[in-house]
Amino acid sequence: MDLLAHLEAYVATADEASFSRAADRLGIAQPLLSRRVRTLEGHFGGPLFDRSRRQITTTELGVLLLPYARDVLDRAQRLRQAARSARHSRVRAVGVPADCAPAALARALRAATEHGITLGMRELPPLERESGLVDGSLGYALVRTAPERAAFRVPLGLASAPGAADPEAPRAVHLEELRPRRRRAGAPPAPAPPPILVLAEDQVPYFDDRFARAVARAGLPEGRIRPAGPPSDAFAGTLAGRALLLCTEPYARRYGAAWAPLGDPALHRGYDVSAPPGPRGTPDVPDWLARLLAASVGASGATRERARSGPAGDPSARLAARG
Amino acid sequence: MSPAEAGGAQAYRPGCVGDDGALVDVAEEIAADWAALGVRGSFLALHLDTGARLGFGIDEPVPLASVAKVPLALVVLDRIAAGELDAGHPVTLDPGRSSVGPTGFAAFRHPVTAAVGDLLLMMLSVSDNAAADALFDLVPAAEVDARLCAWGCDGIRMRHRMNHMYECAAGAAGDDFSLALELAVRDERAGRPTIETLEPAHANTGSARALVALLRRVWCDEIAVPEATAELRRLMGLQLFTHRLACELRTDTLRWSGKTGTFLHLRHEIGVVEAESGDRVAMAALTRADRRAGLAPDIELALGAAARDAFEALRR
Repeated sequence: MDLLAHLEAYVATADEASFSRAADRLGIAQPLLSRRVRTLEGHFGGPLFDRSRRQITTTELGVLLLPYARDVLDRAQRLRQAARSARHSRVRAVGVPADCAPAALARALRAATEHGITLGMRELPPLERESGLVDGSLGYALVRTAPERAAFRVPLGLASAPGAADPEAPRAVHLEELRPRRRRAGAPPAPAPPPILVLAEDQVPYFDDRFARAVARAGLPEGRIRPAGPPSDAFAGTLAGRALLLCTEPYARRYGAAWAPLGDPALHRGYDVSAPPGPRGTPDVPDWLARLLAASVGASGATRERARSGPAGDPSARLAARG
Repeated sequence: MSPAEAGGAQAYRPGCVGDDGALVDVAEEIAADWAALGVRGSFLALHLDTGARLGFGIDEPVPLASVAKVPLALVVLDRIAAGELDAGHPVTLDPGRSSVGPTGFAAFRHPVTAAVGDLLLMMLSVSDNAAADALFDLVPAAEVDARLCAWGCDGIRMRHRMNHMYECAAGAAGDDFSLALELAVRDERAGRPTIETLEPAHANTGSARALVALLRRVWCDEIAVPEATAELRRLMGLQLFTHRLACELRTDTLRWSGKTGTFLHLRHEIGVVEAESGDRVAMAALTRADRRAGLAPDIELALGAAARDAFEALRR
């Protein structure tokens, strides 16, 4: 027996002195209300209402028990309120990449307050965001995945020293264009080719390997890829023209660097907004939160994967010894 | 990726050799240039008349890939000179059964009949695997090996036909070139090959020292018989590939005779540059790249730059 529901039926009927008005007040059907009152009468061992007259009246037992019933319902109500406010005051940590836009994160915090929850943003490297979800220290996290599987994609590109004319919508940069050019006779000696710096956010196993392979296939030594170290140092070198920094467009613009996207979308960032598995076993992330977090990392609409086919050739002959 | 790995290439210092300080300096510069590109390997250049030399890593045995076609050609030419083989003997190659390769008869789609002498030309000018294995059918690898041994070519071992390289790579990686390359580069870092023909103990191997010694004896007529060495010199001068050691030595006043070898991450060439001035320098460059790329023109260019630097340092 749901004691609270039955006590509500009893108290409402006593207040209204009518089964039909009490049912209206509680928003339930009258037969259900009547049944609850009868069940309660059986439980307490005596009638609570005198139904012999046209207007029902509360019996002596009904009058005696009424203050106790009201007390139980009041306490139950206070218990629910305490639970709700406890839930609202708990801060849930959100693991985010280091290069999020602060204004966008602030929008997510405000939206959370409107939805009755309190969030706290924590900048963490990608692998710690994943482990934080597992050990329960994070309530939500932006988790790196391969862009072709991800809910959100963020174009990665190369930041460089700002040029004289920095076009609004730069042409994509292709890795093979970064090979040093052979010099024409009389041309000044070529400067050493700049290293390509990779931020901690992009030092995740699947990306490391994919990027190193793409760099090799484009005809560059894999040694051109270097860890970026602290972002301010990396940007200083980049703005001085001594390095190229792999990063997102908003991040490059924030430091006043020129930026062009990488032509290969398989090298872009992919993010999922994830949470520890909920009571039903699946992570439960509100849509509004996912959308605002995606905006904070600069996610654009999902880009269409172009059908890619490499240069054709006899695959067997490539495996043979050659001249 | 760590800073230690990024800087690891510079830490590689193979033992440099050179007849004086200036030549050692040149060898060290070449080694540093290669290391910066992620290339390991051996290099040796020897002036055939003065005996001056420079290089590094010269005793390391390296799988030869198509460079093995040079000792094979020498043994076949020696047999022809001895009258045991007829250069005009016709051999029919069936594309269904012949060896895999991108050039020459290996790329033919219809049966072809060619004379032994022309198989040698195809094998050395365009690195034809089908022609090479047709010659291996006439002179098995064990006999080539025994002949080289009898000539005192220590440091060169011949163990298998050309198609064995394809079979081992395809056996390890299916017909997936990227995977085979990945395996080769990874095994290079681990130091334990999964592709058998990359393992010096099972492959056709040679060291830079042994290969340069072979070239010196071929150019000085100190091995086999003069008819055989002269024909080998002529055929090596007909090689079409000029993208490696030859690429910085291409003038009308210089003549390059060489043989390249390429397999997965291996990029080799041996050969001799002869100048109108009379200088003759034999060279061997045997490299293994730490890079998962089929094409690496910057590495080819580094080999060419090394050849030119060595030639100009050694010539009188």
